[in-house]
Amino acid sequence: MGKEESPQIERRSTRHSSATISKNEAGTKSNEPLPPTVNDLFYGEEEKPISLDDVVSSFPGRRIQIIELMRVLGPVNCPMVPLFIYGDSSTGKTSITLQIFRHLNRPFVYSSCLTCYSPRILFESILNQLLLHRKSMANSYLSAKRCERPSDFVNFLREALISITSNLQGNSGKSGSKKLDRRASGNMIYLIFDNLERVREWDKSSIMLPFLLNLYDILKMPEVGLIFISNTSPDTYYSSMGYAEPTPVYFPDYKEDDLRQIFVKNQENKKLYSSFLDVVLKPFYRITRRVDELSTAFSQLYKKYCEPLSDLGVVPNEEMKRRLFSNLQPHIAPSMNEIFKVSSQPSTDIGATKEAKQKSSSKKSGLEVTDQLDLHMSTSAKYLLISAFLASRNPATLDASLFDSTGGSDSRKRKRKPSEKTSEQKEAAEQELLMKGPGTFPLERLLAIFQCITSVAEGSLEEEEQGSDGLRVQVGDNSLMSDVLLQLSSLCNANFIVKGVSCPLEGSTRYRSTICEDMALKVARSLKFPLSKYLYRR
Amino acid sequence: MTATKACDSASTAPESSANDNIQPFYLLHKASTPRNSGRKSAAARTIDLSPSKPSSSTTTTNPQFDPHKAFQSVWSRIDSAIKDVLRDVNTNVFNEIHSWVRQSFLAVTSSGVPTFAEATKSFPILNHATSKQLFTGLVLIKNMEFVDDLLTFEELGLFLKSHACHVANLSSLDLSTKNGVGGCLRSLLRQFLTVTLDAVDISILASWYREYGNPNSPVIIIVEDMERCSRSVLSDFILMLSEWVVKIPMILIMGVTTLDAPKTVLPSHVLQQLCPSKFTLGSPAERMDAVVEAALVRWCSGFSIGHKVAVFLRNYFLNHDGTLASFIRALKIACAQHFSIEPLSSVLGLLAEEDSEDERVLALSSGMAAQIDSNLASCLTELKRSQKCWGIVVMCLYKAGKYSKVQLLDLLCEALDPDIYKSIASDTRTRSGKGFEISSSSNHSMAQQYLRKDGPISQAIEKVRDLPASPLSQLLKSWENLTVDILEINVKVKELQPMIKLEEGKSLKQDFTDLAKRHTSRTAANIKESKTINEKAATLLANLVRDFMRPIECIPFHEIACFKDVEKLQSALTGDPRRRIQVDLLEFHEFLRCKCCSRSCNIPLQSMPDTSIMYTLAQEHGDLINLHDWFQSFKTIVMNPSSKCRRKGKQSSFPKKRKETNEHENKSESSLQARLCRAVTELQITGLIRMPSKRRPDFVQRVAFGL
Repeated sequence: MGKEESPQIERRSTRHSSATISKNEAGTKSNEPLPPTVNDLFYGEEEKPISLDDVVSSFPGRRIQIIELMRVLGPVNCPMVPLFIYGDSSTGKTSITLQIFRHLNRPFVYSSCLTCYSPRILFESILNQLLLHRKSMANSYLSAKRCERPSDFVNFLREALISITSNLQGNSGKSGSKKLDRRASGNMIYLIFDNLERVREWDKSSIMLPFLLNLYDILKMPEVGLIFISNTSPDTYYSSMGYAEPTPVYFPDYKEDDLRQIFVKNQENKKLYSSFLDVVLKPFYRITRRVDELSTAFSQLYKKYCEPLSDLGVVPNEEMKRRLFSNLQPHIAPSMNEIFKVSSQPSTDIGATKEAKQKSSSKKSGLEVTDQLDLHMSTSAKYLLISAFLASRNPATLDASLFDSTGGSDSRKRKRKPSEKTSEQKEAAEQELLMKGPGTFPLERLLAIFQCITSVAEGSLEEEEQGSDGLRVQVGDNSLMSDVLLQLSSLCNANFIVKGVSCPLEGSTRYRSTICEDMALKVARSLKFPLSKYLYRR
Repeated sequence: MTATKACDSASTAPESSANDNIQPFYLLHKASTPRNSGRKSAAARTIDLSPSKPSSSTTTTNPQFDPHKAFQSVWSRIDSAIKDVLRDVNTNVFNEIHSWVRQSFLAVTSSGVPTFAEATKSFPILNHATSKQLFTGLVLIKNMEFVDDLLTFEELGLFLKSHACHVANLSSLDLSTKNGVGGCLRSLLRQFLTVTLDAVDISILASWYREYGNPNSPVIIIVEDMERCSRSVLSDFILMLSEWVVKIPMILIMGVTTLDAPKTVLPSHVLQQLCPSKFTLGSPAERMDAVVEAALVRWCSGFSIGHKVAVFLRNYFLNHDGTLASFIRALKIACAQHFSIEPLSSVLGLLAEEDSEDERVLALSSGMAAQIDSNLASCLTELKRSQKCWGIVVMCLYKAGKYSKVQLLDLLCEALDPDIYKSIASDTRTRSGKGFEISSSSNHSMAQQYLRKDGPISQAIEKVRDLPASPLSQLLKSWENLTVDILEINVKVKELQPMIKLEEGKSLKQDFTDLAKRHTSRTAANIKESKTINEKAATLLANLVRDFMRPIECIPFHEIACFKDVEKLQSALTGDPRRRIQVDLLEFHEFLRCKCCSRSCNIPLQSMPDTSIMYTLAQEHGDLINLHDWFQSFKTIVMNPSSKCRRKGKQSSFPKKRKETNEHENKSESSLQARLCRAVTELQITGLIRMPSKRRPDFVQRVAFGL
């Protein structure tokens, strides 16, 4: 996963915006598609290259890596061995690489294996960039070259590279007086492959990955520099040796101080924000070091933090800090939990968590409120869901004693005694069960349990409603059974029950219920079904 | 797999039994032909209540009374009413979504719109870390089934399109493992660019957006059923979108069943890219209420259903198939069946067409007088009027019952019950003989004694009793609006209005004086007064129920408008395919109509189809069928002359014919075995038996027992 987001740099962003403004001054010209030129291969043709110091200062804690990268890339027109940049997500790999190219002002071709999701798209994207081809309505969104096989790609690539390098050489010779900064570019061209880890999934890495890693040797062109960016270490790629190992550059996770610098950098009120970071950074740092995760969490929390303040430009004193902290404190832990798990609903679920709190408080007062399942299901679907849950939870050997009224309590008692003796074994089994998750079951077992619990429940329902509810028309005894399989398929579709692959021994499909116990209890409660009676507790 | 099989068999089941009147449309096509005896009997049954008997021949001669046309006109009215209502249910959510879309679009573009060159370049624009977040609207569909919301998402797309957004709808079919990410990109581009491409990548979308897209409108991608999508494809797709969201302002809208769904479907690094907001569509119960109101309570189409049918539909909705789609389908089937079995029902088509004004109906009925008895005409107007009153009272009850969460469908079931009304009415009659005096308490007990204790009607009336002042006044206002057409009710409601105003003023004063201790500081008199008003409102409601809520089945000539045949509807809805197969196997004669096997009732004959013979034989066995025995008895039946067959009991155990020559036997033996195999396979395919297991290779297992 490429989370090569960099910390935003205040200085850079201002420059960036000023640049866009200046472009907008140039009028609609920039919004109209210009025919692509060689300059498209540079980072930004209208911006001045930034100095190395700027690059270093805009990425706190990355000085070593930047210098290392510069060393590998070498001076102008210096051939380089392939470069392999790796490090965790969101450690600045892509950003730094792009910024260095901006600084060096050398031409490059960038392609992300995430966007280019198949070899063909990747090849064609690279060729399009090299051949200065842009898909548009005019060419009916076709690529410059149709290219599916690696061998074709090598040929096309070689052609394209030769033409472009000669173009570059001519360019640097001719336009030197016109554009001073182009002089530095030289005649090297770099191919950047981002998100290389995705390639491993394409065709089980049998062809594409060795091909890409070996591309330098295949091309045998010193003017080409290859840069691979990945979030997994090189060890995960070298399945078969036989090509020159690229130079690895590792981007370690950010340290706490680096993160502090990163986050304070793009804030307006640095004092206030650093006081905020004093509070939150330490606990969060223990959970995640990824800038993107932290920044989403912090942006929410910071809003909370600033809520009591009327003036955001205020410089906080000790007493105010304390007040703000006490205000924020209750929110930190839930937010941490969320980022740790999934942080799916940061924006809306502030309200939702409140609701949840209300719910949990009302739980104590009366069960009626939590009864409500916020989901409409037909009664037979509910029963089916419960039976699936039971089938997944209970061992199949217990079915007879649970559902058969004749062999009930008696057999269970007998079971209990030996299990007491071997409590250790039992614990181990429990552990194992936890690891395995819910069990699978064949369709027949599900239907059998369904039949049992519906017959029990219908009996009780009729007793209950006979006096009061005349609404029930006799629709036949097995009325709930009518389209069970249809219901089952829609339960599968809603991801409540997962259909597994068919068992190789028995040849029948096995199912597995994925709902949690809470949900099952809710469903059971809405049916007034005594679920806990049927659950086997170890 | 099994489910689809069930589907198939369910769909084929009605075909096999077309002669059982299960297919309403089939009947409709036949309806133009002169009525057959079955229909005449239906007509005779229906008319026995009426004093005069309109002959069925007159109705058929007039082209205006074509039941097919009548059905179409009535159903189109119901259908359009339902569609309107469903659209209205969603407008609030749609507006909410739209405003959210605008907000997130502003948020996306706030960091500056990239230039054309920037947007179409392959490398990312370096920006703030959160800029890769994809604004995602999670639209909660409050139903396990997805069917009802297909239309909703389509309409959402149209709605957003009409508000200047670029919209593409993706379904789980686009996001399947088979098609991969390429498949959904292709579908996206097909919808945006209207071109179909071989090799697609998202940069095409970027350059299209910059070239031809409206820079002020976001690109909205609606994934209709997120839970059904392939996990890997969906997460790849989201990652890709999030890489490009700075260059193309894309906003994702996903339909989910539960809020946990994204957590279970997507891995955490993908969730990290989403910036979700939650929207909730109307719950099925709400929509159901709206549909019931539009289709059944408001007397818009002229078609209505009897009590038993209503109860059946309600149970079907609650217990079996919680989708509106199936409810509406059931209603349609009911409607079609009604028109096909009820000769006079075609009058409804005329009624539906000329529904708008009462006078016109009168005119119509006078016009119809030439063909139909004037008695009938007047009865029809009476029917219509009382239905209107009934609908209004039901709506009043519903408005009151809303405060205690009474569902309209439940209310409808009780309101349609003729027994309750009859008992109330008879009671009133005896009372009125004594002299008409309504003290509120006695009336209360009288009305309630026949209504079910916790039935929805008494719940609604009970709720009115302890409603606080301001909701009560709202309720009264809504009653006033509802009853505007019927003067006699309207007057009564208006009588209550000034009282409530007085009451409101008082309580307002109370509020000013002591806000905190409002409840405790109320004077006893005040409480009493407010109670009396509540009491009066409740009494009014109870009176309305007693006087005006005449269920349609208590009105003469209701058969014209009212569909009551539950069994037919049930057999049309729940196909019960397995039973059908068994019945057809045993009673194959109904289809073949051959002379040779007509006399046999249960005894297998030589001339019968093999599968039928086999199945009949299988009936004699228990759980397991020994293949050898089965074959032997099959052989005896097929080989023996028909005379032998009558001694059925002996067949299974003693194969008697052993006199044939050997060669003949060998030849026929092999062909017999082939026939047996075929028959057994057919039985297996229909799911009636199961193949031998490894443990018992010479036994097949019976799966279906009994009918």
